[in-house]
This record gives sequence, structure tokens and C-alpha cells, in this order.
Amino acid sequence: MASAKESYRAELRASSRQLSERCLYSAAKWAAELLVGVELDAAPVPSAAMDSPSSSSAASAGRLLHLHRSGGSSFRHRPRPGGGSSSEAGTPLGGVSYVSTPIPDDDAFDSGGDKYLLAKTYFDCREYRRAAHVLQNQVGRKAVFLRCYALYMAGEKRKEAEMIELEGSLGKSNAVNQELVALEKELSTHRRTGSIDSFGLYLYGIVLRDKGCEGLARTILVESVNTYPWNWSAWSELQSLCTSSDILNNLNLKNHWMKDFFLASAYLELKMHEEALKRYERLMGVFRCSGYIQAQIATVQYSMRDLDEAEMIFEELLRTDPFRVDSMDIYSNLLYAKESLTALSFLAHRVFLTDKYRPESCCIIANYYSLKGQHEKSVLYFQRALKLNRKYLSAWTLMGHEYVELKNSPAAIDAYRRAVDINPRDFRALYGLGQIYEMMGMPFYALYYFRKSSYLQPNDARLWIAMAQCYESDPLQMIEEAIKCYERAANSNDTEGIALHQLAKLHGMLGQSEEAAFYYKKDLERMEVEERQGQNFVEALLFLAKHYKSIGRFEDAEHYCTRLLDYTGPEKETAKNMLQGIKRLQSGFPSMDIDHFAL
Amino acid sequence: MNLFAGVGGGAADGGGTGTALLELTPHKMAVCHLVQVFAPAAQAGGDVVPPFPFESLTHHNRLGLFLFTLTRSCDDFLEPPLEEFLKQLRAVDDLTNGWFCEQLTSALSALNSPDDLFNFFDKLRGVFTAPEGASAEDVFLDPNSQLGVFLRCCILAFNSMTFEGVCHLLADLVMYCNSADASYDLAEHEDFNSEMGNLMDADIGSHAGIFDKFHQGYASEHHMGESSSTLTRASMSPYDFDNANTFKADDNPTCLRSRWQLEAYLNQQADILEKDPGSVPLNLFNATMTQLQTLAPELHRVQFLQYLNALYHDDYVASLDNLHRYFDYSAGMQGLFGRSLSQVQDIVVGKYESALLCLGNLHCYFGHPKKALEAFAEAVRVSQMNNDDSCLAYVLGAISNLLSKIGISNTVGIISSPYSLGTNIGLGTPLSIQQQLLVLLKRSLKRADALKLPSLLSFDHLSLAKFDLKHVQRPLVSFGPNASTKLRTCPADVCKNLRLGSRVLTDFGADVLSTSNDNGSFSTSWLRNLSATSDSWRSSSKNTKKIHINDFDNFHYHAQPSPVPASILQLAGSAYLLRATAWEHYGSAPMVRMNVLVYATCFADAASSSELSLAYVKLIQQLAVFKGYSAAFCALKLAEKKFPSSTSLHIQLLGMQILHERALHRGHLKVAQQICDEFGVLSSSVSGVDIELKTEFSVRRARTLLAAKQFSQAAAVANSLFSTCYKYNMQVENASVLLLLAEIHKKSDNAVLGLPYALASQSFCKSFNLDLLEASATLTLAELWLDLGSSHAKKALSLVYQSLPMILGHGGLELRARAHVVLAKCHLSDLKFSVLEDPEAVLDPLNQATEDLQALEYHEMAAEAYYLKAMAYNHLGKLDEREEAAARFKDHVTALETPHNEEDSLKY
Repeated sequence: MASAKESYRAELRASSRQLSERCLYSAAKWAAELLVGVELDAAPVPSAAMDSPSSSSAASAGRLLHLHRSGGSSFRHRPRPGGGSSSEAGTPLGGVSYVSTPIPDDDAFDSGGDKYLLAKTYFDCREYRRAAHVLQNQVGRKAVFLRCYALYMAGEKRKEAEMIELEGSLGKSNAVNQELVALEKELSTHRRTGSIDSFGLYLYGIVLRDKGCEGLARTILVESVNTYPWNWSAWSELQSLCTSSDILNNLNLKNHWMKDFFLASAYLELKMHEEALKRYERLMGVFRCSGYIQAQIATVQYSMRDLDEAEMIFEELLRTDPFRVDSMDIYSNLLYAKESLTALSFLAHRVFLTDKYRPESCCIIANYYSLKGQHEKSVLYFQRALKLNRKYLSAWTLMGHEYVELKNSPAAIDAYRRAVDINPRDFRALYGLGQIYEMMGMPFYALYYFRKSSYLQPNDARLWIAMAQCYESDPLQMIEEAIKCYERAANSNDTEGIALHQLAKLHGMLGQSEEAAFYYKKDLERMEVEERQGQNFVEALLFLAKHYKSIGRFEDAEHYCTRLLDYTGPEKETAKNMLQGIKRLQSGFPSMDIDHFAL
Repeated sequence: MNLFAGVGGGAADGGGTGTALLELTPHKMAVCHLVQVFAPAAQAGGDVVPPFPFESLTHHNRLGLFLFTLTRSCDDFLEPPLEEFLKQLRAVDDLTNGWFCEQLTSALSALNSPDDLFNFFDKLRGVFTAPEGASAEDVFLDPNSQLGVFLRCCILAFNSMTFEGVCHLLADLVMYCNSADASYDLAEHEDFNSEMGNLMDADIGSHAGIFDKFHQGYASEHHMGESSSTLTRASMSPYDFDNANTFKADDNPTCLRSRWQLEAYLNQQADILEKDPGSVPLNLFNATMTQLQTLAPELHRVQFLQYLNALYHDDYVASLDNLHRYFDYSAGMQGLFGRSLSQVQDIVVGKYESALLCLGNLHCYFGHPKKALEAFAEAVRVSQMNNDDSCLAYVLGAISNLLSKIGISNTVGIISSPYSLGTNIGLGTPLSIQQQLLVLLKRSLKRADALKLPSLLSFDHLSLAKFDLKHVQRPLVSFGPNASTKLRTCPADVCKNLRLGSRVLTDFGADVLSTSNDNGSFSTSWLRNLSATSDSWRSSSKNTKKIHINDFDNFHYHAQPSPVPASILQLAGSAYLLRATAWEHYGSAPMVRMNVLVYATCFADAASSSELSLAYVKLIQQLAVFKGYSAAFCALKLAEKKFPSSTSLHIQLLGMQILHERALHRGHLKVAQQICDEFGVLSSSVSGVDIELKTEFSVRRARTLLAAKQFSQAAAVANSLFSTCYKYNMQVENASVLLLLAEIHKKSDNAVLGLPYALASQSFCKSFNLDLLEASATLTLAELWLDLGSSHAKKALSLVYQSLPMILGHGGLELRARAHVVLAKCHLSDLKFSVLEDPEAVLDPLNQATEDLQALEYHEMAAEAYYLKAMAYNHLGKLDEREEAAARFKDHVTALETPHNEEDSLKY
């Protein structure tokens, strides 16, 4: 156990350093966060670390001290449940044998160390073309990678500038990275000659992705992560190219422990929530202090509509990492769903002070304005988020919701459609499209969208209820189809209880009393369990009373009539009359007497 | 037959709407430079002579025409690279030895800095201003002409350009001038090619098929006496989907043409899709549209083109996706164009009800009548809610089309609430299906007339003609004894609606041609001819160095495209096809042939392959009926080469029909039964679908059983068929089936039973004005009376004389032969008639009959004719002729009773 954790630490420590040296800062940040997240040993002794033979220099010793101090701080602020059994809880993933990948040696000082240092400095100052020019004649793999990466970043920078310049009457022509052609030429040559390393393969993969060659890009990225598994950016790009579980299952990946992170994230993206949650909880056994894993678990639970669990995790995250912006847009969506206005305002204020011009920050502020009912301002901030990141899927969907509130149907439809075009599996946008077309009096047209969203999210009762309402609307009057949809909704965790009641009503409309009685009874049971009373309750009691009277089950009918007497309204008088009628029907002799008197 | 075709339009003229539709590109700058050469600043006091370096006014005007076409051609959405442009310019510049090309190249290469661009456009402004002291007669460019507007748009675009735009333009100019650089070899190509290998092979085969079909079609067209305009149109398809276009974006700057040209290009692609979807590969078209969408993301009509592409290639899922995406993005506000709905002067059908109209048409196309009707009902409601009268008119027409197309059986259960369709006329009782169809058609006609939608008006007239052709007019409200009880169809109404339907041509000419609306086809054709001229000139340049080629010589290579849009021509052509069908019913063969020939000659360019194959089917049927089977099979082979069997069910059915007829006549009953079974297999197993095909199958089966002398089974099949036709209100088929029943009873020597059927059939024919079928029924009546005994010979003879004018004038070979045989039998059966006194009265019709039956290979009737000839000659005492006739009789009977070489009947 200790040796496994120590190997994880060593791998992450080395990879974070190597990624930073190559200016892959997102991946380095991710690795460093995970390094701090590795669970500490039972008895941390800082002095022992100082005395270990590996720390031979003062700089290394200082770094180790810093890490231990930070880890200790996290440990003290996060008491674990069942603290007494820490040794058992810290058991690593049992029964799983991982492939051991050696950490490659760094060749920093073998190929123009000083020039590399200068180029890296230029890169850090965002002077990408200067960085590339300095490394023009360097032939080492590290230098080749940094030069190509600098050219790529220069092209990306120019592309973003051109997006503003090239807006024409037919819309913004998608500006392309002008460096892609030359980069592909060079990197493909290196790959053919075998003089490319895993970082070069990663860059080659994103170049191919930008050019639209997704199949080859997947192949290259798989090679990259198989030879250097600690580059989370490569895994992220690979995940964005896996748009279906078939593609995911066909990847030829080595069984490194980083693969678990990749699979869990991919499952979350593909809406396979149970599998994702299972893997993340297994990963929590080793990386207990990882904020990333906790944020991912909270996101999974939010997607599974476990809002309370997710909120607790997010609150804990903010306590330990108060200036975090990653995943906070999910938290703001959660607060919006729970209508926690105070918490949302605090969150918006905090991200504004932390980093105002991140798309996530704009989304959080937009959610706050939306909850306040100021939809115009909300749209404004969503548009700002989309300016910063055109592919920000949830911003498109949420902006569509705001346009619905503003009664601007064409704009809402346009926003939802762009969300669907970015991610054809976004059932929320498809659901939004269906709702708008239904509001515009086009239920048959709306069915197309509801059908697609139900196919993508078959366990969400709201989608089936929306489809059913379309079918039973006045222009269509397709009652049989509506019944099928309500049955699906009833089997899919219909928390609002619409489906059972509607099933009963529709069967009643079709004259199928037995089925209607069955569903009314189930509805009654559900309302009793949830202690919910109302018009539906009274309606169910009345129907059941009438039904049982008509089929001759007088005891049951009397039972429901008696319960109806507890309510005020016209149903009470109806119940009284029915009770008298039942009594007369049950005793034949007085009825004969009455008939005799009439004669 | 697609009668629901609108006028292509909606593309605004780009010349007059400023910079919104024009973005400055290197190609446009090259055109501006040539405009400057064409119209330099006028010299004071000069004579009216063409400026340097032009040698003549013709030379000068040719360059002007070239420049005009450059601003209007729409055969591609990307501007041509400099190499191609220089090639075209060299073809125009054949007198100055490339002076234009050199000057253009040097002028563009000299633009190296933003200041050079400013100076360039300053010089362009000088084209419009006359120098001081110039007289009023000096020549300078008219600012309001096509070239003048183009030049002003370019100057305005440059004035409003930012500095970044100027820098971009300079970079694009460098790439434009260096666009001939060789491209490198990419590792990506290997994987890409391996992934797309199968698709490429299929597409290469498709391209080869296009060229093969093109050449054969050209020969066939020459043989049929048609025009050769298809040459120009067919050659566009391979060029449009050249695979090299996919990689051009990587090598050259991706410059789009003007918006007007883009929309004209999209309209053109829609024309190609509708005319012949088989010539357009599905995936290559999608790749081209995807490329265009990448360059112009806000041009949402591309998605509509993708919807049409998926629709015509039977891709249901992609059709739905693209249709919904288009209307989600455009909100229907960009209007519909191409083959769908809009017209140049129509109110543009906007908003989301158009989506429902297209959705209904989609379901109609894929054979989902229930869903189509739901979509149309929703479209009616939303159109009424939004006061969209144009869309409402089109929806009513679409519903009429749906009801008349899918037959009657399915609609009984579909229209559960006819009030939602607005067809309730206040009586409180639901109308029958035919009456609903009539109400919808008249309502759509009234709306189209009020809103001035000529395409829909023409479509409604044609639909009314189709309705009147097959249905008896009844008053919608029948009250009291004064209601008319005459139940007949009205041929006058049919002819009137047909004439009004084809009047769309004159309406279009009066309204639209006066505004000289150019849809770009003229310019496109001119440029293509220029390429052909260039190739021809280059190949013969050594021999004819200095020969001066006149401008008009270019047009001798190919016919010029018609200025009328294809959709209008298609509707007018459909009117002629429907006329041919009407005259088929009314029994006038010359009118059928005339109308079909007019259609095939004048409207073949605009017709879809389905309608054109239908025209060929009608002509071949006429050949089979009037010229015999050899001529028909020769024509059928030509038609099969012109229409691949995968795209034409009409041709396939026609082949089976003629084979079945010949097999019956030859007595090859096994082959006939086999062909019958193939008919049965072709039709759908769903009840109520493919009802015409099932009817034909049953008729042919009954006739096969009749030829095999299984009279009871034949009668059972015919009776069952009559029940089906009566149930589905197929009146014309009712008359035919009744006549078939009469034939069955006649052949089984049950004349008394056959008489009521023949009389009923005759009555049907009178009601529906089926004159030729009535003549046939009258002839059958005569035969039945003759079978009842010789005492009825006079009555039979009078019936034959009554039907002879129609039969001899319009009947086919078989019908004429039958008439002649019956005539002879009447004379021979007449006890008062003597062969000795008037032998020609018997022998002349019999000789004519044997000639006709020889062409038809009809052994049974030929045997009967020769038997009668032998009897006649026996009476006359001519023993040699008698023996000869008897020998022929024996030959035919032998051929009928001992069939051999039955396999030959399955071949042409």
C-alpha cells in the first residue's frame, strides 16, 4: 500500500515538472492537484522525509517540506468518517494490477539548454513566434516539441484575432489556424521517421483534430497516452473525440491507473452515471484529498438529480479551495435548481473577484440574474461567456431558457439548435426545442424533439410527460400513444406524480374502467405515502367510489365514500347520496317496500 | 410526377443592395482591373473608336460580355483561381497575344502594400468621372449598368474595410498570385483515402455511369428528335462534384462569390437534385454543402439543400434532421426556394408553418400518409393562427395532392376529424372523401388566385383536371327533386382546366420576363462555351492562327438555356402529360401521341427523369398497340438505355406488360403466368397500397386464366377484382373489369350471362366518356348477340357498324382485327347474305384482320380469321385459295396448341 501510493506520488511529481517545462500548464496543474490529493500515510513525519536519502539537495528538501506542510494542512481540515479505521479505509484498489510505465528521463540539458530556457521565457510571456524562432535550429525532441507548440499557439492566437476581423455578411467564417498545414507536414514526417515523442504525438493529435481528421487523431492520441499516461490534456482531447460508447470500447489503451480517470470522465460525458460514480469512488480510495475527484463526483450526482448530496460536496470544496472556479458553474446550476438565492449571490460575487473573464464566471453571474428574474441581464452574461468560449454547451442551453422567459421564440430556438449542433446528445436542448414548438401550437412538430430527447435520456420522467402531453393535446388526440408515454414516465421516477393521475384519467376517457381504477388506486397510495392531499386525491376517491358501486363491490365503494366525507366541497354531498344509495341496494326488502308505496 | 413545384426565386439581385452582399476578394479585384481596361478614362476630343488595345468594336464588346458573365455565373460557390481565370481571359484575348493576361498579372503582383491598394481603388474611381473639358459625347462607364454597379460595390467595400481587412486582402492577393504552387504530400491523405476508398470507388463508378448515360442519352435523343440541351446540363454534374474541390480549400484562399451568385448556385443544385437525383452522389453533395457551410455559416439555405439531398436519396433520418435544423436556424424567415414553394413575386412563405408544410411533404414522399396528414392539419391551424394565407393555400394544395396520390382506402381511417381541415360546409354531416378532395382543391384554387401564386394556380388546375377525369360531378348540396340527376363526367371541364394549367407559361412571360430577371444560367452557359472554345481554339491554333472568331459562333456549340425557370417549364410540361392521359381515356390516339411528343420535344430539359420516363412509356405503348411488338421492343431497348432500371419503375413495368401481351398471343401460358407472378411480387403486401399495380396484376391473371380456358377461376378473379374496384371507387377500372367478365362468359359459351356485363360496361363508358372502351364494349355486345343465334345477325351488324368509326380511327391493331372478324362473321351468319353476290364484303375485312394479327402474333384470332376465309373461299368455289387458308389455319392452331421455344418470350 505505501509503496503504491509512493509510486503514484513519484510519477505525478515528475510528470508535473516535465509538463511545466514543456509549457503544458493545464496538464501540469492537473497533475499537481492530484499529487496533493494522494492520501497521506497514517503517521506523517516531516523529519523523516528530510532525512531520507532521496533528498540530497536543499532545493529538493525545501519542496518536499512545502508539499508535506500543505498535505498536513488538508489532513487537519478534513476529518475522515470513521477516523479510527484509517488503515483499512486507505486500502488501494484491490485486485487491480496496473501496467507500470517508466518515467522518461528528461533531456533538458542535452539540447540547447540555455536557448530552451530563453524560448520558454518567451512562451511564458506569450511571445510565441519569438520562442519558435529561438529554437529554429534545435533538433532535440524537447526543443522540437516546444517550437511546434509555440507555432501552434501563435496560430491559435492569430485565429482568435481573425474571428473578430473576418465577420462578413454570411456570418463569421470559421477562421482556421494558419499553422496547421506546416505543423502537420513536419509532425507527420517526424512520426514516419520515428523521431517524435509522446508530447509531439499529443500536438500532432490536436493538429489533426483541428483539421477534422478525427479517426487518425484518435489513433495518434492513443499512442501518446500509451507512452506517456500523465498528460491529462491528451486524455481530455481523446475523450472529446469519443462521442459514443462504441468508439470508447474500441480504444486500444494500456491499463495504466490514469486510464481510470479517463474512463470515469468519459462515462460522465456519455451519461453513464452509475459506472462513472463507481469508478470515481474507487479512485477516492487512493486520492482521498483530490478536489478534482470530489468535483467530478458532485457533477455526477447533480446529473443524477441528487442535489443535496452534490451540494454538500460542493460546499466542502469551497471551504478547502475558496478561490476555485473549475466546476463552479455546475454548482451554480445546482443552486439555481434549488433556488438558493443567497448562496448563489455569494458564489457570483466570489468568482467575480477571483477571475471575472472566465466563461464559468459569466455563467455563474448569468445564473444569478436568472434566478433574480432579470432575464435580459442574464442573456447579456451568457453572451459574454459564449464570446469567450464559442463551444460552451451549457451556456447555449441556458441562454435558450432565458430567451424562453423573454418570449423570444426564434432566438431561443436558435440557441437551442446551436447547443444541439455542438453536442447532438444534449437532451436538455432538444427538450427545450420541443417545449417551444409546443408553446407555438405545433405539437406534432414538437414530438420530433421530445422523441429524440427521450431516446437520449430514457430515465427522465419529465421528457416522457412532455411527449405524452403533446399526444393528448387537442389537435392530435392520440390517447393510446399518450398512455404509453405516461407508463414510461411512471416507471421512470416521476417525482411530481403527474403520470399516474393522467394514466387514470386517460383510461377513464377511453372507457377502460378497470385500468383507470388500478391507476387511481396506485395514485392514492403514492399520495398517502407522500402525505400530499389535493384535488387529485378527491378526484381519485370519487372515481373509485363510483366504479366499485357500478360493479357491485359495495364494501369498497362504501369505504371510499366514507373517506370522501372528510373533505368539504360538492364531493361530500355526492358521497352522502352514494352512501344512501348503496345502503338501499344492499338491503332488498326496504327497496321493495318503497316500490310498493310508489305504486 | 411532381406537380407541386414552385418557381425558383427569392434570391435578391445583388447588384443593387450595396456592400452587404459583396466582399472584396482578389478575384473581384482582377475583374475590377479588367473593367478599368474595358472603360478607361475618356480622352478629350477623341473619336468614337475603341480604346487601345482593342482592334474593333466587336473585340471590345466581347470583353464586356465576358466581364458581365463573370459577375453572374453561378456554377460553383468558390471564385475561380487565377490560373483558370487567365485561361478564360486568353480565350477572349486571342487577338492581342496575351496582352491582357500579362497586364493583369503584373498589375496584381505590384500590389504589395496598403498604399498600393488605396491607389488602385483611386484609379478605379476615375472610371466614372469625365475629365474636365470633355464633351458630353465622350464614352465612360454608366454607373447604373451591371458593371458599373459591380464596380461601385467594390469601391464601397474597400472604403468600409478596416485596416485588418486591408492586410488580409494583401495576404490573399499573394496567395492568389501564387496559387499554382505544388501541394505537398500528406500522411493524412493515406488514411483519408483508405477510409473513403469504397466511397470513392462507388463515386467513380457513378461518374463513369454518368458519362456513359450521357453519351448514350445523347445518341438516343438525336434518334428521338429531341433537342440537345441536356448536353450542357448533364455535363455540369460531374464538374460540380469533382473530388478535387474537397482539397481546394487547403491550397487556395477560400473566397466566396457574391450572395446573389451563392443563392443562384443553390437554386441550380436544387434543380439538379429534383431533375435526376441519381446523377448526384449523396455523400459528395453533402461534402460540398458542408464545405460551403463552413465558409458561410449564416447561409442556412445550405441546410435546406442538404434536406433535399437526403430526401431524394431516400435517407429518412437525415431528411428529418436537416429539415428541423434548417427551420430552427432560419425560423423560416429566409423563405423557401428552389423546387419547394416560393416564386419571384410571391409573398415569401415564412415562419414555422412552412416547416410543417415541408414535414408533411417529407412524410408524403416516404409513404407515411397518416403522419403527413397530421403535419398538414397542424400547418393549416398554425397558418390560420398566424394569418399566413400563402402557406395555407399551399397546404390545401398539398393535402389535395396527398389525398389523390395515396388512394382512397387509407384516408377513411385517417381523417377522423374532418372539421379540423376546414372542409365542413355546415351541413353537419361529414363529406365523402371525393367531396373533401374537391372542396380542398377549389379552396386552394381560390386562394392561389387571390394571392396571385401562378405555380399553385397551375397545380390546382391540373389537379382539378385529374379529378374531373375520373369522378362524376355531383352537386355538393342536393335538395329536393330539382337536383340534377345527370351523372356524367364533363370533358369540357377537364380541357378547360388543362388549358388554364398550362397558361402558367404565358402568365410567367407577361409578369417576369419583362423585368429581365437573369437567374445566372445565361452567364454560366456563356462561360462554359468559352471553355469549349478555348479547347477548340488551342487544338487548332496552328492551322488557324489569325482566324477571327465571331462572338456568335460560340453559341453554335450548344443550345442556349431557356430564360424560363425550370419549375415553370415543368408545370407546363405536366399539363401536356395530363392531356395525353386524358385523351387516352377519351380514346383519341392521335391526340395522345401529339401531346406526348410535344412534351418530350419541348419540355424534356426541365422534366424530372420520372416524368420523362412516363412520356417514353406512353409512346412505346402506342407503338405496341399500333405498330406491333417488334417496333415496341426496339423503342423499349432505347428507353432502357436512357433510363437505368434502378431509377425508373415505369420502364420496367412497361417491359413486363408488353412481354405478357405477346406471351398471351403466342399461347405461351407458362411464361404469361410467370410474368403475372412478377407483377404480384412487385406490389406491396399492405392492404390499400399500390392499388393500381394490384389491379393490373389481377386483370392479367384473369386474362391468363381465360387464355388457359379455366373460365370458372377467371370469373372468380374478375369478380373479386370488381369488388375491389367498386370499393375503392375506381370507376374506369370498373368498366374494364365488367368488359372482361363479359369476355369470360362469351368464351365459355354463356352469352346470356355475358350480356348484362357488357351492357353495364357500356353504361359506365357513357358516364365517364370513355369512347374507345365504349366501342370495345359495343363490339363485345355484337359478338354476344351473334352467339345467341343467326336470327340476331342484323342486330349484331348494326352494332358493329356503330362502333366502326371509333375503332378504325383510334383503335389498335387488336381492336381493329377483332372488328373486322366480327364484321365478317355477321355477314356469314346472315341467312339472307350470299357470299357469291358480294365476296369483298367478307374477304376485305378478313384480309385486313390477318395483316394486323400477323404483327401482333395473335395465333388464336388469326386461326379464326383464316378459318372464316377458308369457309368463304369454299362458298366461292376457289379451291386453291381455300387450301392455302386452311394450311395457314392449321399452322396457327398448331402453334397455339403445341407451344415451343417458350423461353424466347422472355426476351426482347
